[in-house]
Order: sequence, then structure tokens, then C-alpha cells
Amino acid sequence: MIIFFVLPLLLTVVWSVFERTMFWMEPAFTFFSYENFFFSSRLENFLSSMFHSSISVVCAFFIGFPIAIFIRRRVRKVAQHRVMLLFILPFMVSEIIRIFALRPILSRNGVVNSFLMDMNLIDSPFSIFVFTPTGVVIGEIVSFLPFMIFSTFLALEAIPNYIFEVCADLGVNRRRMFKDIFLPLAAPGLFAGSVFIFVNGIGIALIPTILGGPGSVNAGLIATQAIIALDFPLAMAVSAIMMFTLMGLLYLGHRLFNLTKLLEPIS
Amino acid sequence: MSQRDDFQPKWKLLLKWGWLSFAVFILMAPTFYTVYISFNELGFGAKYYNFTFQWYENVFSDKQLIGALGWTMLLALITLPIVIPFGLLSAKLYKQSTQKVWIVFILLSPLFVPADILASALLVFFKNLNKFFTLIAEYTGIYSLDTWFDLGIMTAVIGLIVYTLPYVFVVIMITMARYRNEQTEAARDLGASAWRAFWEIEFPQIRAGVFSACAFVVILTFNEYTRTSLLKGGFDTFTSVLISQMLNTGMSEESYAMASIVSLVAVVIVSAILIVTAIKTDELEKKTRIVKEPNK
Repeated sequence: MIIFFVLPLLLTVVWSVFERTMFWMEPAFTFFSYENFFFSSRLENFLSSMFHSSISVVCAFFIGFPIAIFIRRRVRKVAQHRVMLLFILPFMVSEIIRIFALRPILSRNGVVNSFLMDMNLIDSPFSIFVFTPTGVVIGEIVSFLPFMIFSTFLALEAIPNYIFEVCADLGVNRRRMFKDIFLPLAAPGLFAGSVFIFVNGIGIALIPTILGGPGSVNAGLIATQAIIALDFPLAMAVSAIMMFTLMGLLYLGHRLFNLTKLLEPIS
Repeated sequence: MSQRDDFQPKWKLLLKWGWLSFAVFILMAPTFYTVYISFNELGFGAKYYNFTFQWYENVFSDKQLIGALGWTMLLALITLPIVIPFGLLSAKLYKQSTQKVWIVFILLSPLFVPADILASALLVFFKNLNKFFTLIAEYTGIYSLDTWFDLGIMTAVIGLIVYTLPYVFVVIMITMARYRNEQTEAARDLGASAWRAFWEIEFPQIRAGVFSACAFVVILTFNEYTRTSLLKGGFDTFTSVLISQMLNTGMSEESYAMASIVSLVAVVIVSAILIVTAIKTDELEKKTRIVKEPNK
């Protein structure tokens, strides 16, 4: 893993300052690729993909966190893992297939619009579900929601049952329990899930390619387009920026919440 | 299945189960819809539904696709015997280590790094390695070295190992968590070698996890696209054929059928694992109950 994962990612920093040649790159020390990234529309695209990913994180929190709490609190201990495994099923189906299949479901003449029109809820079909930023957010939620549920559940699983019993005995209301028990104790899981969704939202090229339409570009797409255009230093600069973003977020998360706590229930 | 809260009205509990089921349904809806369309003779958007296997017949008579299936299976078969022992060793190392943070960081980070970013970094890394080995070959005269890191099966397998190892590690860790190390210590005290203690005492108890990890590796290999497509070189894999059809001609009926085959195989395998695991856990609990409370 050190040779084929850590090393290539670290070397992206070195390659990003190389000079571009016709088909490859040569050793140099230039920030041209970074200028190319930061002083062009690419930065705008990158920031807008960050904004869309943040929306996906918030949506995944509101959908996924109550589910994780419900499984931890209301499902019998023996059945908790089985219910969690229900969310593994969609994870095991290719992401590409799931994202591609969203197109006919969300398109103007797709299932969602047909259903809404059949129910007389709308007069004309919505066209905001695909080839728009909304489509990208929907794609990210459908693709990454299980991870928010897994990581949050793992964090909640580490909470001993007596804490809930003591709270019940002391008559703690639900709002306070959420604020003072669930939220702080699930924080490592929430953070890990949020980082996963955020980073993959700005880094996976397929979602904007398939659901975002022509103007939708993220860091992953910029990197793959640079490779297709044989601009390897630019691709490496984007990779380095992504790597620093990820490392920064993980370091911050670890300092704040000790992310290794997440593995305690399974180790 | 539910743990009732005395102060919770039943309708609230039902509502929460409804929300959970709705989330699972939404996550699975694209897969269900793909399968549904794949059996329609008239394809997507048609007013009527005529059930047919025609699109599946077309898919299985497609020589390019069968070839791609073979390549994908080969990748999975090469990846499996490498990544499973790695996963086992990593999980054992994690359990024994005092430096857990670094092990977790290295093993689980690939989950967080987007596919396109890792694939781009690996692609450039292999191209540079290739240049390096070509240089060594020129100096040493050992010309077999200069093709080592040509894009092909080996580079694709390395990409797959980096991608699947975190999943293998987590799945094996979950099963290893139930294993008590005292059993290995007892076996060693009785004179068993480290390998014999592992193979005859520990492995039978974590076997389910290892087999589940194998199934996950095969499924993930069939589902993987980005890393494999950048690192595979000249041959086609199942997803690369599927994606090129989808991007070039849109979702044809054959594309729906192909996507359904991959999805259904994955769902059936994972469901089978889940059901078998659930049955085994029930049996184990029953046995534990009998031992703990023999008179009941």
C-alpha cells in the first residue's frame, strides 16, 4: 500500500511542478499547472462542485443520521447488523449502473415525472432533476448515503446502553438527548461520512458527466480531461490539491474526534 | 425485530420503519428499474410492457462482451489470492499493533480518495516506473525488465488491489472481532506451530468472513470502472464495454440487460451471504443459550 498508494499520491506533488511536453512531462520547477488551475474557470468549477458536495453532505446527514439512530436505539441488538446490511446491497451494485439508471428515472419523461403527473401533482414535467446541479446532488446522495449511515452507526454502536437508560431514568427529553448524547458521541462517524461524501463529490467524474450536463465539472473531471489532453502536470496538480484537501480534513477530524474510535466496535 | 420504547406510540415506530424502508427502496430503485426495463421488449419509455428475454439473448451472443467477461473474471481471479492474504495479515497486524492510527490511515484511506484522482496518480506512476525500468534494462541488458509496468493486466490488478483491500480488511476485521486470542495462545502452549494454530483454530472461525471478502472482491472487480479503464491497457472489461455502449449509443435495451446481469449477480451473492450469516448467527446464539441455561 505504501508503494502503490501512498507513494503515487505523494509524488503527484512532485509531478505537478514538472513542465508539460508534447506527449509527456519533463523535470522542472514551475507552478504553471497551479496557475492554470487557480487562474481559470477551473477554480470556479472546483468551488461550485465543493458547494454542491456540501449540499449533498447536509442532505445525507438529514436522511442518514435519523436512520442510524433508529437502528441503534429501536432495533434489537441481534437484528441491528442485519438491518445495516440492507444498505450494503445498493453499495454492491456498480455505482455507474446506479447513476446511469437515474437518468431515465429522473428525466422529463421518466418515472418520477410520470408519477407526479399521473397523480395530478404537477401540470408539466420538471426538468431540473437531470443535467443540472440538482441532478448531481441527487446522484451523490444516492451513491454515497450508505456510507453516512455505516459510519454514523459504527460511532453510535460504541455508546454503551446504560447511557440511554440513565437518560431515560433522569427524564431527559428527546431534543436534549439528540443534542447532548447522539450528536457529540456520533461526531467521529458523522465527520468520516461527511468527508467521504464531500471528497468523492468533488472527485468522482462520473456523476457530473452523467447527471450534471455540459457545465458541470468537478476536480475528478478536470483531472481526467487533463489526462485525455495529455496535460499530465495539470492532472497531477489537481490530484495534489485533492490529496491535500483530503489529508487536511482527515487530520482535522482525527485531532477533533479521534477517528480510530470508529473501528472500536469491530476490533 | 423492534425494541419497543414504552413511551413511544406504535405509529411513530411504524413511521420510522417506513422511512428506513423508503431509503433502502430509493437506493435500490435504479437497480430495480434497470432490471424492469431489461425484460421489456419495447424498451424504455414505451407505453406497453411485453415481457421478453430477447435482450439477454443478444447480450450473450455478443462475442466482444463474452471476451470482456473473461478478462474481468481473470482480473478477479488474479486479484483474489493476492488481496485476501493481504487483508488477513493486515487485520491480524491491526489487532496486535499499538500503532493502530497509521495502519488504519494507510489501509482505509483508499476508500476516501476519489477513483479518478487515484487512477490518474497510478497511471503517471506506472508510466514513470516504466521509463525507469527501461533505463535499467538499457544499462543492464536485461530487456525483460522494460515491460514490467506496461499498462496491462498487472497494472490493472495493482489498481484493483489498492481499491479492494480496504473492503477486505473491514469484512475480515468484523469476523475477527468475535475471535478470542486466548484460543491461539492455548494451541501454542500445547505445542502447535503458529501456522497450525491459525489454520486449525482461528481460520475455521473466521472462514465466513474470508469467503464473504472473496465474494466482495469478485463483485467489486466486476463493478469497477474508473481505475481499471485507465490502468488496463488494451483489453476490455465488462464495465468498460457497458460504459462505452452507454456513452456512445445511450442506454440501449442491451445495456439495460448487461447492467441487470451484473446487478442481479451482485445482489444474489450478497443476499446469500447475508442469509447464511444470519442463519449461522441464530444457530450460534441458540447453542450459547442452551449452554448458559440448560434447564430452559
